[in-house]
Order: sequence, then structure tokens, then C-alpha cells
Amino acid sequence: MKSDKAFELIIKMFTLVSVTILGFIIFFIGAESIPAFRHSGVAGFFANERWHPIGAEPVLSILPMVLATVYVSFLAVAIALPIGVGTAVFLSCIAGESARRVLKPFIDLMAGLPSVVFGFMGLIVVVGYFERHFSMSSGESALAGGIVLAIMILPYIVSTCDTTMAGIMKSYKISSDSLGVSKWHMVRYLVLPAAKRSVLAGAVLALARGMGETMAVMMVIGNSPLLPRLLGKCETIPALIALEMGGAPVGSLHYHALFAAGLILIIMRFAVSMAVWRIKRGADL
Amino acid sequence: MDKKSKYTRLLLWSVLSSALTFAVIFFIIGYILLKGGGTVNAEFLLDSPKGFPLGSSGGIYPAIMGSLAFTGVACSVASLLAISTAIYLKFYCSSRRLYNIVSLVIESTAGMPSIVLGLFGYTLFVLKMGFGVSVLSGGLVLGIMIFPFIEVRVEKRLSEIEQEMLLSSYALGVSRYYTIKRLVLREALPDIISSVALAGGFAMGATAPIILTGAVIYAKAPESVMSPAMALSYHLYVLVGEGAPTEYVYGTSTVLVLLILAINGAAMLFGIMKRGE
Repeated sequence: MKSDKAFELIIKMFTLVSVTILGFIIFFIGAESIPAFRHSGVAGFFANERWHPIGAEPVLSILPMVLATVYVSFLAVAIALPIGVGTAVFLSCIAGESARRVLKPFIDLMAGLPSVVFGFMGLIVVVGYFERHFSMSSGESALAGGIVLAIMILPYIVSTCDTTMAGIMKSYKISSDSLGVSKWHMVRYLVLPAAKRSVLAGAVLALARGMGETMAVMMVIGNSPLLPRLLGKCETIPALIALEMGGAPVGSLHYHALFAAGLILIIMRFAVSMAVWRIKRGADL
Repeated sequence: MDKKSKYTRLLLWSVLSSALTFAVIFFIIGYILLKGGGTVNAEFLLDSPKGFPLGSSGGIYPAIMGSLAFTGVACSVASLLAISTAIYLKFYCSSRRLYNIVSLVIESTAGMPSIVLGLFGYTLFVLKMGFGVSVLSGGLVLGIMIFPFIEVRVEKRLSEIEQEMLLSSYALGVSRYYTIKRLVLREALPDIISSVALAGGFAMGATAPIILTGAVIYAKAPESVMSPAMALSYHLYVLVGEGAPTEYVYGTSTVLVLLILAINGAAMLFGIMKRGE
């Protein structure tokens, strides 16, 4: 009985520690952002294209980075979605059970590769290709970031869509076969429409992941705080934080501004996650 | 006729896109292993980086040890807390509202970009708490990052345990502690280990959280948790920033990729073997 009580106490203590630490992170980031918002005002943070956190008259507008973050991740989803859904259709509806069992682990394997490896490959392959063939002085661009990020989020899109599609295939296969419906008719008029919500949820989930990605994107987009253009350099919020946090003295306006940038990124991701939640809730009904 | 061409297009789309997907996977892994495989030998694995710029010769021993140290700290801290939290939520938490609050906090952490966790850890662990740039600071940030990853998987596994077994155990007057220790944990252990291993692979590949909290450009293999360390992922990032990739850079990527593949492969095999029983 004594060990029973002790075990319960230990479990409760560790849970309390975990929740306290995690809750504290959110609180901490919020609190450290306040001075920056006080300096520029919330609207001022999105007012113009100037990010000059140091100097006599600092201007803190994070608009270019917000737009670049959204731009690069939307670009990535736009590239990855058709390919990912196509792959999921192949895995769940065309490849046989044994081929699927062989191929699926490769998708998981790709999801496990470290982002710095994607960045490295992106730099030598994608950026290198742009420099050789597009006569760009530097191939580092929003497009390169979009392509590299697309490859990174591809396995997530394939996984989500494949799981749903395989489920739909399984539950309708017998009735569909006995009615003499062709496989292609089934894919086109049953599987694809029924998987629509889950495809959408997968895409939004991938978007959220993409917005938070640091290394792979940072290594190929050039990192200049400019408004995003397809073939121009830009800088996402994670890249901004990664590059500048070492040089910002604690307590300086620059330091608080980086926390504010982090808070904005969290809010952006939260908004996207809410969308997933709503889509999924709709799917259950 | 029209319908037929529609189906052909559908087939073409799915075959082409999966060909592209798998070509990309095989290209990335093949390219790195082919270009770097030749560099990896005993000397490369057991020597320190040398030359100028750093890493033009020598090996990556301190980076391998550093990566293992970061991953070790992250996994021990995160698994202890995450498994406890999962047990609490599944077996002790009786209030619906409390359950929702804890789950919400865990979910929001899962949605936290890793670089923001790095920013948090840099300020709190490195500067305010005085841990400095060290294995401990970096490992703690990585631990926070993988906490939700482990918690969600373990909690899911614990919910899959047959209710009947638990009820029989309680009905026999077996205490909750004994039931969890002898029935639940024994039953779920392979999957818990597998989740922790997968999380370890995730932590080992992460760079953003340790850029300013633990990883340094050059250090000896870490001697204690308070010393700064090299890490394979960060080392690769630094090398790529130095300029044209050399064999040494490909060799570093090969070791990093192989280590992570080995961890993930072991975790997956563990799951498959258990199911095969």
C-alpha cells in the first residue's frame, strides 16, 4: 500500500513538472514579447517593410518575414500536394498489398531524415541547378525554399492521404467489386471525393509544419528581409530568429523583437492548426 | 471513350507522381551514401576534425559523441516525464477538465516551432539559469521538443490495453500501482521503447534547437553534461556554410543519415517483430 501511494505521488509530481514547464514556455514567450509590442504597437509590427532592430531609432516591422513565411510554405504545399495525393492514390489503390508494404516504409524513412540534410541537398542540387541554368547570380530564392520544403512535407501529405484512402478502399471494395464497378470508376467517383476532407487536413497540417521549418529553408532562401518574390531572396520568421538570436543582448529591444517574432509565428501556426481541427471535426460528422 | 481517357489520365497522374516521390527519396539517400560512403572509415569515425577551414581533414569523433550525448539527455528527461504524464492521464486523472487542460498544453507544445523552443532555452537555460552553452541546455530543449511526440504515442498505446484485463486485475484486489507495473507496462513496453527510439532519431537530426543552446563549432567529446559539445547536424550546417562541399562534408552527412536510419529502423523492426509474434 505504501508503494502504491508513493508511485501515485511520483507520477503526479512528474506530470505537474511537465505541465508547469510547458505552460511556462508559452507564458515566457508572451511576457518577453511585450516590450517589443509596446515599442511599435501591434499594428506597427505589420506597418512597413523595414526591420532595423538596432540603431538610434529602431523600426520593427516584421511584415516581410511574415509574408515570406506564408509565401514559401504555400508554395511548398502547392508543389507537394498534387504529387503527394497522386502517390497516395498509387499506394492505396493501385499498388498491391505486398508492393505497398515494401514502399510505405520508404515514405516514413524520408520523414525521418534531418532537415539539415534536406538543406544541404537543396543547396547543391536545387540552388546549384538555378545558378547553372537560369543565369541567376545566386540561386538562393523563395522558389528554391519552396521546392526543398515541398520535398520535406511530401511524406506527411502522402501518409495522411494514404491512410484515409486505404481505409475507404477497404470498406467499399467488396460492395464495389460485387456491383461490377471498375477500379478506376471507384477511385475517381468514390475514393477521391470521400478523401477530400482528409486531403485538405493533410495539406493544412503540412502547411503548419512548413511554417515552422528552420534549417532546410534557411539554407536555400538567401535570408534578406525583402518582400517575397518567386526568384528573389527572402527570409522566413524561423530563419530570422535563428540568424539573429545570437547577436541580440538580453533585454535589448532587438531581443524582445525576436521573441515577438516567435510569438507571431506561434499564433500563425495555431490559426492553421485550428483550421485542421475544424476540417477534421467536419469529417467526423 | 471520354471516360477511358479520363481514367488513363488518373492512372498516369498517380504513377508519375509516385515515380517522382520515390525517385526523390532514392536520389537523396543514394547521393549522400555514394558520395560519402568512401570517406567513412575507422580514422574518420575516431579522429577529431582538423585543418583550416575546420573539417578539411581529420574525423568527426567529437561530433558523433556530442550527438549521442544530446540525444541521451533529451531522451532520458523527456521519456521519464512523458511516460509519467501518459500514465497519469490514463490511470489517475479523474477530472475531465484537468485532462483537457493538460492535453491542450501538450498539444500547444507540439505545435511550437523548434527554433522558438531554442530561443526559449537560450534565454532561460543558457543565460538566466546559468547552465551555459552545454549538453544539458541543448538536451533539455531537445527533450521539450520530443516530449509531446513520446507522450502522445505512449498515451495512445496505453488506451489500447484491454479494459477487461484492467478490470479483472482491479476486481482481484490488485492495487493500481501493481497493475500498472506488472500488467500495463509489461504489455506496452516494446511500443514505449520504440516511441522513445523514434523520438531519439528526431532529436538527433534537429539542429535549430541546439544552435545557441548546446552545439559549438569545435569541442572535444563531451566529458560532462555541463560541457559544450559538437553535434553532427550542427557540424554539417557549419561545414555547408564554409563553402564548396568536400568529401568530408558528404562523409559527415552519411554518418548522420546512417545513424538516424539505424535508430528509426531498429524502432520499426521492434514494432514489426512484436506484431509478428
